[in-house]
Amino acid sequence: MKKKVALLTILAMTVGSLTACGGSDAADAGASTDAAAESTETTDEAADSTDETASADAEGKTTISFWHYMSEDKEGKFVNEAVDEFNKSQDEIFVEAQYLPREELMKQYTIGVVSGELPDVGMVDNPDHNSYASMGVFEDITDLYENSDDQNFLEGSIGSCYYEDKLYGVPWGNNCLGLFYNKTLLDEAGIAVPTTWSELEAACEKLTTDSCKGLAISAIGNEEGTFQYMPWLLSAGGSVEELGSDASKESMTYLYGLIEKGYISKECVNWTQADAEKQFASGQAAMMINGPWQFSGLEADAPDLSYGVARMPKADNGEYASILGGENLGICTGANVDAAWKFITWITSKEKSQEICKSIGRFSPRADVDTAEMFAGDELNSVFAEIMPDAQSRGPSPDWPEISAAIYTAQQEVFTGQKDVDTAMNDAQATVDALK
Amino acid sequence: MKPNSTEKKERRLGYLFILPAVIYMLIFIGYPIVYNWIISFQDVTATTLASSARDFVGFENYKAIFADGTFRKSLSHTFIYTVGCLVIQFSLGFLFAMFFSKKFTVSKPIRGFIVISWMLPVTVTALVFKFMLGESSGIINTILINLHIIKEPIGWLLKGNTAMWGLIIANSWVGIPFNMLLLTTGLNNIPSDVYEAASIDGANAFQKFRKITLPLLKPTIMSVLILGFVLTFKVFDLVYVMTAGGPVDATEVLSTYSYKLSFQLFKFGQGSAVANVLFVCLFIVALIYLKTISKDEVM
Repeated sequence: MKKKVALLTILAMTVGSLTACGGSDAADAGASTDAAAESTETTDEAADSTDETASADAEGKTTISFWHYMSEDKEGKFVNEAVDEFNKSQDEIFVEAQYLPREELMKQYTIGVVSGELPDVGMVDNPDHNSYASMGVFEDITDLYENSDDQNFLEGSIGSCYYEDKLYGVPWGNNCLGLFYNKTLLDEAGIAVPTTWSELEAACEKLTTDSCKGLAISAIGNEEGTFQYMPWLLSAGGSVEELGSDASKESMTYLYGLIEKGYISKECVNWTQADAEKQFASGQAAMMINGPWQFSGLEADAPDLSYGVARMPKADNGEYASILGGENLGICTGANVDAAWKFITWITSKEKSQEICKSIGRFSPRADVDTAEMFAGDELNSVFAEIMPDAQSRGPSPDWPEISAAIYTAQQEVFTGQKDVDTAMNDAQATVDALK
Repeated sequence: MKPNSTEKKERRLGYLFILPAVIYMLIFIGYPIVYNWIISFQDVTATTLASSARDFVGFENYKAIFADGTFRKSLSHTFIYTVGCLVIQFSLGFLFAMFFSKKFTVSKPIRGFIVISWMLPVTVTALVFKFMLGESSGIINTILINLHIIKEPIGWLLKGNTAMWGLIIANSWVGIPFNMLLLTTGLNNIPSDVYEAASIDGANAFQKFRKITLPLLKPTIMSVLILGFVLTFKVFDLVYVMTAGGPVDATEVLSTYSYKLSFQLFKFGQGSAVANVLFVCLFIVALIYLKTISKDEVM
């Protein structure tokens, strides 16, 4: 008998281990829902502090949920403000906005497809939109959109919402990458803002000291790493389809050269873009590659830092390139479609889109918003406004997560010295080819 | 006849008492496992996740993961990590336990102090070690350089072999107090008159340790090792926070790889297959444990 008890104990022990960390079982869903519940609490608290009457207003209204990943302390508060405004503007729908970290939110979509617990309106990173649409996370809203009188989105932006010729969402905001430079450090070294790769390398050489690296980038092993690498790849004339081409390899060789010479910290393979921002803000890097959503972070971390932004330097024989980032909104499967659509059309309308995007460091994905006018007098954002039209999108492809994995893996292999550029890029090309 | 039926009755009543627990286990522990086994035999990807009619593909997912170099690596990483952690944790934990079972004035407060590291959330430990092992600003490199042990800073988490060591060190920091706690309890349970008798018979300290402490502590040692193995083998949070399996796949372990396959690459079938391999490994260890304790019970 004792033996049987012991067997049961052991079973429970091993089993507990599996469910706690296992792949995609229901227990995971339970754990994550807890996390989600916790975030609800915090969101609620935040909402309470801004507006107490809003929750009272929910009575008698149709309540819909809106999940987003605009971080609470930065962009999130503007999102909450907009949602409050919507809740007060009419008496039919009450929107409950909830923040979840990006990774967590993406996991929730995957779990929600099986468990049925999806929000009514959800935010998604635009290169991933295709995958989640193919998974069945979002409702087909082609008819709703085509029958609406407001179809003024930029082609590239709305393009990322289409999967197999059907529309699964509308764009929320765009961004792209540029070069941030520390004005003080560049002035002291007496160098101009670099515009080409050779100039960038020369600038890095002068700017790199024991306590300060020339440039900070993120080469982490996830989508962020791919996002950061794309402009280099595109500027050299390379492409995702031909990662093994000479032009593609050239971009990797160049970046690895900067790391080998010590101009970029080897630790970039573990850095997110937020980490790169911390390096730049603390003066441990004289320049960084990053996007306009970092302005609010820099303001908080280093209010006295004197910095400027410019286009990312182009390959010596190439063109300027940047990469399109941003988020889309979709109506989730099984949601209250009518209410959700009303909210989405309101928050992505010309006036609101312009207002919110300006606050959260995004560019409006709408064709009828005059970006130049929107950022008139704003030196930093105007630069990004100029870069935006050149920014190319990732995908759209339902296989994008795997393509992206091939790219960031190659980058990590090269940067950590595990493979040489030729082998890593040929392997990446083979992975991408195998998906076709 | 009569006593037999009362016995039966009692047994039936006994089953009735454990019924709630059994139902609970079946629903909350049994169901996820069965579900996980089922999808590991199905073709579950992004496009088929929501549909109820998924194709059964037999052992295709298992074939695919065993043909996958990253999986084989993560399997061996998991074992290297587990054995490395166990050796360090157990030997140091044992030394500490022996030391603190001596009753000197501050032994109890210090013992309590050491246990703090075990009580910290793993995520916190992982973040702290991530900073401490940083290349340019990490305190470990600074100390080693100032002591002239190394000349150039080491990028602990940037190279495959040192990254694994970084993880092992971080986990041992948590594991040592855990081992120490259990072993101290075991040591305190050995009656002191056995030692007294041995002293009278003229046994020296080493003999006492080998002939008394070790044999009497064996059940505790076995459970400490097995528990330690299970807890270490299924590591997820520490690795995920410190390296996320990187650089490239140098510290990828079964749990992180299973997560990556399922939630980043949307190959749910293969992700479940990896999780099941993890399950089988732990189950075998559990059976070994059962074998050893049942032998002890015979004694």
